[in-house]
Amino acid sequence: MEIKRYKIKHLVLLFIAAVMLYACKKETTSASNNSNLPVVQAYLVAGKPITVNVFSQKALTDTAKFGPAIKGLKVSISDGSNTIQLTQSSTGAYTYADSTFLATGKTYTLSFSYLTYAVSAKTVMPAKPVNFAATHSGMTIDALLGTSVLDTLVNLTWTNPDSLRSVLVFNNLDGTSFAADTRFGSASANFELNTYQGSSYPLTQRTFAYYGHYQIMLCNVNVEYINLLSSNTTGSTSSSLSNQPTNVVNGVGIFTAMQADTLSFLVQ
Amino acid sequence: MKKLLLLLMIIGFSLGGFAQQTQKILKKNSISKFYTCPLDKFLDTLALDYHLNIVFERDSLQKMDVVEHFFNETLKDALEKVCSDYNLHYWIEANGIIYILQNTDDLARLKKTKNAGDMAAGTVKPVQLPDPVAPPSHFKFSISGRVVDQGSGEPLPSATISIRNTNLTTITRGDGNFILFNIPSDTCVVEVTNSGYQPEKIRLDAKKIQEPMVIEMFTALNTLNEVTITGKKSGVMNTDTKKVGVLELNPASLDKLPNIGEKDILRAFQLMPGVAATNESSSGAYVRGGTPDQNLVVFDGFTIYQVDHLYGFFSAFNSNAVKDVQLYKGGFSSQFGGRLSSVTEINGKDGNKNEANYGVDLSLLSVNAFAEIPVTDNSTLVLAVRRSYQGPLYNKIFSQFNTSTVQGGGPGRGGPGGPEQTTPASHFYDADLRYTNRLDKNDLITWSVYNGQDNTDNSRALDIPSFLTSSVNSINITDYTKYGNLGSSVKWFKKWTDNIYSNTYITYSSFFNDRNRSTSGTTDDSNGDAVSFEQGIVEKNSLNDVGVKSEWNWELSNKLKFAYGGFLTRQATNYNYVQNDTSTLVNQRESAFSGGGYAELLIDPTTKLHLQPGVRETWYGPTGKLYTEPRFSASYVLNDHFTLKAATGQFYQFMNQVTQEDILNGNRNFWLLSNKTDIPVGSAQHYMGGVSYETDKFLVDVEGYYKTLSGLTEYTLRQSNAFQGAATTITQDFYNGTGYAKGIEVLLQKKLGNYTGWISYTLGQAEDKFAVFGNNYFPADQDVTHEFKTINMYHYYRWNFSAVWLFSTGHPYTAPLTTYTVSTLDGGTSTAYTVSGKNALRLPDYHRLDISATYDLLKISGNKIGSIGISLFNVYNHTNVWYKEYQIQNYAAIATNVDYLGFTPNLTLSLRWK
Repeated sequence: MEIKRYKIKHLVLLFIAAVMLYACKKETTSASNNSNLPVVQAYLVAGKPITVNVFSQKALTDTAKFGPAIKGLKVSISDGSNTIQLTQSSTGAYTYADSTFLATGKTYTLSFSYLTYAVSAKTVMPAKPVNFAATHSGMTIDALLGTSVLDTLVNLTWTNPDSLRSVLVFNNLDGTSFAADTRFGSASANFELNTYQGSSYPLTQRTFAYYGHYQIMLCNVNVEYINLLSSNTTGSTSSSLSNQPTNVVNGVGIFTAMQADTLSFLVQ
Repeated sequence: MKKLLLLLMIIGFSLGGFAQQTQKILKKNSISKFYTCPLDKFLDTLALDYHLNIVFERDSLQKMDVVEHFFNETLKDALEKVCSDYNLHYWIEANGIIYILQNTDDLARLKKTKNAGDMAAGTVKPVQLPDPVAPPSHFKFSISGRVVDQGSGEPLPSATISIRNTNLTTITRGDGNFILFNIPSDTCVVEVTNSGYQPEKIRLDAKKIQEPMVIEMFTALNTLNEVTITGKKSGVMNTDTKKVGVLELNPASLDKLPNIGEKDILRAFQLMPGVAATNESSSGAYVRGGTPDQNLVVFDGFTIYQVDHLYGFFSAFNSNAVKDVQLYKGGFSSQFGGRLSSVTEINGKDGNKNEANYGVDLSLLSVNAFAEIPVTDNSTLVLAVRRSYQGPLYNKIFSQFNTSTVQGGGPGRGGPGGPEQTTPASHFYDADLRYTNRLDKNDLITWSVYNGQDNTDNSRALDIPSFLTSSVNSINITDYTKYGNLGSSVKWFKKWTDNIYSNTYITYSSFFNDRNRSTSGTTDDSNGDAVSFEQGIVEKNSLNDVGVKSEWNWELSNKLKFAYGGFLTRQATNYNYVQNDTSTLVNQRESAFSGGGYAELLIDPTTKLHLQPGVRETWYGPTGKLYTEPRFSASYVLNDHFTLKAATGQFYQFMNQVTQEDILNGNRNFWLLSNKTDIPVGSAQHYMGGVSYETDKFLVDVEGYYKTLSGLTEYTLRQSNAFQGAATTITQDFYNGTGYAKGIEVLLQKKLGNYTGWISYTLGQAEDKFAVFGNNYFPADQDVTHEFKTINMYHYYRWNFSAVWLFSTGHPYTAPLTTYTVSTLDGGTSTAYTVSGKNALRLPDYHRLDISATYDLLKISGNKIGSIGISLFNVYNHTNVWYKEYQIQNYAAIATNVDYLGFTPNLTLSLRWK
């Protein structure tokens, strides 16, 4: 009996030793803390002045739209041959007034330092849309349900031999005054659609939630903008959570270039 | 000769012949007498008159009086009458002795009694082992045969056969057969033991060894375990101390454990070390850092692809149709392949070949009925059907797994808003059918069918809002999810010679998971004509698996066995995602032929050492490659108490179960085959070792494991409709990575006594590395550092009490740290999270206590005819977090915990008829 006990004791000791050895192992953490990276928001449009907004990220419960602006940065943009220095405006945005700096086909690189981070981002100015037109200058909404709501009433077309990425931005100049369909009560009057690198887009009765005068803008954009729009994190669970894609190195948000063409459209 | 053989087949070899003799005396004799005497005198008279051996406690029975006039009643009825009057039971042991019991636990004491006053012996002496009838005439021969249950004729697997005073010992296989070589002489004694049965001893003679033996075992009285044999399996759950990572389960004892709703074989395994117990939403086995899809589930030879019901809360197997279950936690034999982590092998019941048997289990969740019917002399049928009903327990679980506050992921804008509060009609059912036909003594055909299905139907007609009644005639919403399995196999067992036998299977298994969420109806167009419309999504996944396989065993000697076989399978998967009846977003059809073979040697050079080298070869069509899996396991018995064991091997997996996230309607699982492009063939290496220390009463088992994994696939299918009014698009992403898992498991089990149970502790780590989440290893979703389980069972006469307490480190999860918002071109905004490292945070620790009490219902003859039980799940109502949900509102993130089940009681009633 004595021997047995001795053996059990040994076994237990062995086990405790193993557990302790195991427990002493250095933890390898893969936690990356990128919650203090700056948020960059800049849309470069050819022939327009430049505005770059830089904010802090917000605490989860913060209901402010944007985080506090980060001020006092030295923000510069290079087009490969020239580098310009942006100046801080009163609101904390960084601006550059010369509208000739942005031109088709050039690559623009943003850079500044923040805390210990060298923040940078790169984008290419896409070509301007060509031959943007609508088959009709307006359409009528008269049904809410049924298959006819998905019939193509108007086709938006443009020339796109190189399959450039673009989005269609709909601006309702009348705002939310005239709802076409009450079930979209919470829908915004202005919206945008991905064209999936196509050269046309069909408009149906379902496209519009409000009657009114629209400005339809076809914007040639870069992939980073499509990625931003496609990521949908509004409802997520802890098992499916992921970061929004960004083209900013050591930062989050977007730095992208685009060119647009516009036409008017009436929905009644 | 044939007649003699038949006689042998029927009677078999066992002491039980004497029990049958006693039964016969009780049934055949009738008494017509008036008795007025103390009970002990009554028994004395019976013993004397009818040559019975009766054992009882004279002191107590003296005080009981019999005043009874029996008129032409059988002895059995008379005995039952007096026993029933004084709340006594009688029990006939295999040796023919009748015991009169006040409590079932008295049997052990009465059997040991030396007090002659407590016995009423007839002229027939209690049976002892007969002396040899003749001097030994045969030497160094082999015996073979089958061990069966005396009552039902059901073959008994894992019974231990040994030759007294030698080292010769073997264990019956799944079909109850055994062979022993080199028996010293034909006067030896064969000893047979098996859990839940009375031990048997058979004296060999020259005649018996000529033909295969059929050894019939008598069930033991349902009482505490008083027989002590080292290595004997006696509990609800057992580890095979001679093998690394093997768990065995006897479904008959499952009612002693707490259960929620149903006796559950897969849930029971989760109480053992190395099998995670805290995934309430999955009955699948998370074995040693593996995922449920890395666990092969084989039922009567065919693979089951959907192992659970009701959001994973219940396993899909009906314990009434199951004979035994083995779980191989890793390093498994080359007989099995196609999975990276583990194997669960389930064998169906053969059924009762002597008499029909019926039973029913009722609980707050379901009705479960079974029948075991002898069809002809040689064939039996087992039928088991289970169906849930939408009682309070069902609804509680259903709503727990359907609660969500998060919007999104669903089919987008459905019909018009309005009240949609309906309780969906939903249920699950499963059915097992098993037909066994013994064609002759060497051929056995078994046909097994399994079908199980879950249906959730939330379809309804919609009340049309008043502002639409002018233009809309009707709207019907179809909303159902159906998933399930259909599997079948035909098995042909053939015994070619005494030491060569084979099992050949034709198998079929299918799995489907369909979802339909669509709106249809009619509406008036501008001309007033009715136009019908249909919108929504229809999603279908199916899998078909057809195969043949043949498994051969050739037992060369006590020291060498050879197992080999071949297989051929065709698997086909289909995944289809249709929107608005017209646009098919995903349509994937894949099929794969695979084939191969395995060979394995089981070598026992000494009685202490066991070596098992093997190899498995698989040719997998879609990659056109041959995969070689060498395997090896070994054990060494150091002394009476200590056993060392180890296993290693290479494992491949050719298919993956992927989860489609659907926050609103519950995630759906489906299967995809490996291919050359985005889903690689998974690969794993196992290294495991352990030591066990076993005494008559205790078992300590410590095992360690290390596994490397590669070719892991994580799949996401995301529906993106961020663009208002745009057509929905589906993005499929396949992420590939590697991983590892390691850990130590400790089991301390008390095997005998009124109090039994075990303590299980697992220290584990499972980490993955996927390029898409960075260059570092991160904790896998199923990673749990500490898991402590204590299972306590107390036997008090006809009561069984149990308490199970579980504690585990919380599961890892990914959390948002901050949010940020950027404006978009239309003047809107896009708000996003900055998230922590993948799985960098931990949910709160999981713990809960379950308790249960079961009362056995006994016949006067001591046979169990059922039980009544109450189970309390999560007794102290601890809130265990399943996962967290995040939602952005007003640019801020709102976090919600989605919890597992709180306190839930359940009642069960089991009844059996013969």
